[in-house]
Amino acid sequence: MTAEIVFRAKGLTKVYRNGALEVHALRGIDFQARKGEFIVILGPSGSGKSTFLNIVGGLDKASAGEAWFEDHQLTALDEKGLTQYRRDHVGFVFQFYNLVPSLTARENVQLVTEIARKPMSADEALALVGLSERADHFPAQLSGGEQQRVAIARAIAKNPEVLLCDEPTGALDSATGIKVLEALTQVNRAVGATTLVITHNAAIRDIADRVIRFADGRIVEESVNATKKAAAEVSW
Amino acid sequence: MVIAPLRRKVLRDLVRLWAQVLAIALVLAAGVATLILGNGAYSSLYETRSKYYEDNRFADVFADVTRAPRALLAEIEEIEGVLDAEARIVKLGLLDIDGMKEPGSVLFVSLPGNGAGLNQLYLRLGRLPDAQSAKEVVVADGFAKAHNLGPGDTLPVLMNGQRRELQITGVALSPEFIYALGPGQMMPDPRRFGIVWAPRASLEASFDLEGAFSNVVLKLAPGANPDRVIETLDRLTAPYGGVGASPRKDQISHAFLDAELKQLSAMVKVLPPIFLLVAAMLVNMTLSRLIALEREQIGLLKAIGYSSRSIAQHYVEFVVVIAFVGILIGMAAGTWLGTGMAQMYARFFSFPYLVFTRDPQIYGLAAVITLASAIGGALYAVRTVLRLPPAVAMAPPAPAVYRQRMGWFRRLLPMPQTGVMVARHLFRWPFRTASSTIGVAMAVAILVASLWSFGSINYMIDITFFRTERHDAQVVFGAPEPYRTLFAVRQMPGVLVAEPFRSVSAKISHQNLSKKLAIVGRPAGSELSRVLDADLRLMEPPAAGLILTEALADALGVRPGDLVTVEVLEGARPTVTLPVNGVSLGYVGLGAAMEIGALNRLMGESALVSGLNLKIDKAQDAAFYAAAKAAPKTEHITVTALMLGRFKETLAENITVMITVYVSLATIIAVGVVYNFSRIALSEQGRELASLRVLGFTNREVAGVLFGELAVVVLLAQPIGWLIGYGIGLAMVAAFSSDLYRVPFVMGRDVYATASLVVLAAALVSAFAIRGRINNLDMIEVLKTRE
Repeated sequence: MTAEIVFRAKGLTKVYRNGALEVHALRGIDFQARKGEFIVILGPSGSGKSTFLNIVGGLDKASAGEAWFEDHQLTALDEKGLTQYRRDHVGFVFQFYNLVPSLTARENVQLVTEIARKPMSADEALALVGLSERADHFPAQLSGGEQQRVAIARAIAKNPEVLLCDEPTGALDSATGIKVLEALTQVNRAVGATTLVITHNAAIRDIADRVIRFADGRIVEESVNATKKAAAEVSW
Repeated sequence: MVIAPLRRKVLRDLVRLWAQVLAIALVLAAGVATLILGNGAYSSLYETRSKYYEDNRFADVFADVTRAPRALLAEIEEIEGVLDAEARIVKLGLLDIDGMKEPGSVLFVSLPGNGAGLNQLYLRLGRLPDAQSAKEVVVADGFAKAHNLGPGDTLPVLMNGQRRELQITGVALSPEFIYALGPGQMMPDPRRFGIVWAPRASLEASFDLEGAFSNVVLKLAPGANPDRVIETLDRLTAPYGGVGASPRKDQISHAFLDAELKQLSAMVKVLPPIFLLVAAMLVNMTLSRLIALEREQIGLLKAIGYSSRSIAQHYVEFVVVIAFVGILIGMAAGTWLGTGMAQMYARFFSFPYLVFTRDPQIYGLAAVITLASAIGGALYAVRTVLRLPPAVAMAPPAPAVYRQRMGWFRRLLPMPQTGVMVARHLFRWPFRTASSTIGVAMAVAILVASLWSFGSINYMIDITFFRTERHDAQVVFGAPEPYRTLFAVRQMPGVLVAEPFRSVSAKISHQNLSKKLAIVGRPAGSELSRVLDADLRLMEPPAAGLILTEALADALGVRPGDLVTVEVLEGARPTVTLPVNGVSLGYVGLGAAMEIGALNRLMGESALVSGLNLKIDKAQDAAFYAAAKAAPKTEHITVTALMLGRFKETLAENITVMITVYVSLATIIAVGVVYNFSRIALSEQGRELASLRVLGFTNREVAGVLFGELAVVVLLAQPIGWLIGYGIGLAMVAAFSSDLYRVPFVMGRDVYATASLVVLAAALVSAFAIRGRINNLDMIEVLKTRE
């Protein structure tokens, strides 16, 4: 693969202090991701994968080490810089969707397109995840899978360089989860965003370009899929 | 001591939510404080006055005559319903103290001599004068203090034009002069007006009233009809220059106290209900949110066997504690302010003592009402606790249902999605939005309804002293003087312009309504005393007919063109019917104006003047005062600048206190509502706002969503508050206007602006108090948890 490197991390460490107690969430992570790559991150609870995603997503700060996004050193940015980074470059998808309940599907997407530099239209984003029909519904009127697809549409509508997904299928049944994964792979192809998907569902590994496994704050295994499966082909 | 777990939860909740609790408690406290202050001050003033009147036998009817033989007293005593009567000599004199350049008056009042009589003195220092002494007198307490006089000092005065050195034997107070207003004055000025009580014999001699009297006061039997007594009395005194008796309610000192009592009772009716209403709304808002947040705990408690009742009781206890905190703060503040108010009364009114009632009933009532309003606010919220089945409670709440509304509005006014969030959230909780808006509006209304009075007082001063009564000084003669006196006065030092006026006591009637007042005649073209219409246009005195002030026209129910009956109470006492030519502006007292020649013709007299309005050269004012004082016919001299100065001084003393009190009260409401509203909105939308931060919204943009909601509520509240304040102001004008004075209703834009600025500032401060919480929203936490 010759695509340029989007993410670099070196010796990334995160220590949480809770009184006298120190919790090492990350113990020196070295990592790279290329443009357009679809990476699945596996690992048990508490292995540090979410902490890692939060740091590369600009939601949290590392205790030591460096993380770079293109030519931005994330570990050197302040609160304001991180906010700008998230706003311009990152799309997020979360386990609980985090939609704004008072806004319709389309308006939830517009929330982001309004502040983005080079967004696609909200309707285009919803079409990408197959929700054009439901654009005028409020979250409370949508199923869990539909809500998650709205969240994905919201994440990709800004044409982000990076798409970060933390347990996107965690709250969904298998059939719905697969639809969400289809949406994710579809937009990964269409937008070309580097996609990092955290899951502890090992079945998802087959749709990735590369799989990374976390344990105890370290990357313990890394494997490249020679042949990716389509989302529709996996099941759990 | 073992505290039951739910009790412990109450305490912990109170500690955790201390800022919201305190904000609500302060609003309740303001209600309690105003209730205690208002009721306490009212009953203090009322009780003090009643006791003082009773202890010192304050009279029920008052009448002046020119000169009546003492034999008439027996006839007066015979009038049915009269319990006691005292014939007195009451005459004005002039102060002649060395080193006091400005003119001052004293009112001489005779003492019955036997220590009995009506309107008995409360001797504060020294002793009463010897009944046989021609020099000994007792002086009023305020006057003595203003001049630093006491028993043993001498008081130089002009009595009936004669200079006399009086000997002070005592200092006293009288129920007749609790509010001692000098002739032509608008506010008590103890330096320039004092009461001097002297034995009757001495006053008889000084004022050539041997065997006669000039004033009579009556004490009526309980249940006697004062109007009927007055009718008979007026008939008896008419041949002796009686100008008509007044019942107690028209006695100046009493009437001013009544006006104060009226204002206090209005305050008690308006302010406490506002605070208690707002507090009930705040309790409801806050408790509803607390219960929504603790839904799962409530389900759990029910599941493990707590009854709905005991859980509901738990939340009511939470509110009861808040109410008690409010009640305690309010009682302390009310008591403290009450003491301050009593001191203010002591400055304004001459009471020998002040019965400051700390009536436990008032405190008990305040506590009960406050508790009731807090619990009333809680009950609605607690109902949900009773209804919630445990299984439903433990599941997460159904998601809030939003609707698309006002699509047309958005097409007209495109707004960002964050704006849509603001609008939909406000509409989602219409009751809360409305009650918060009303709450903030009440803060605005309190300010509008209190601040307008300053502007209107300034307006009243401007109209009275700079547009109508524009003279520098007024000289009033003891009895009408021939026109040529005008030329003599014009020769006095410093007199630049002198214009005459004639003043005649009369009773003006229309149908069954009548009022006693002085008709003032002025020459056409008068510059120093003018009559203006409602649009401030000059009205020339009519050659035939009257111009009535608005207050008099309203009191008699007449309009221009109507005919009124004028019954003159002096001289030949003619009765005539005159047309009303117009209605004029006038804020102090009742007034009727005529052309001076017409008035003299009506009296059947030659050209007479009662006094002169003067323009004085400031450089020579001292010389003028001395000359005017020395002129034998002068009864009193009023100096506009001194009167105005005193008026403004008194106003300035009170304005700071009043503004501080009202601004504090409004701030308490504004902060209480805005802070609680923000905290609740933040608690409800914390998750959404943190999600926005994750999506790349800046702290400022996220705060904008919450502050946007707040801004809508606060801005919407402004016009509503202006309107409510305007209404309260209008009601106050109607309630406070009396025959003594009338307040112009001047609601300037500056009043609205000031009120809004104060409330906006308070809202901003409370908004900033939660800014820190917005900045510290935990982005990672919200991603991990389901709502």
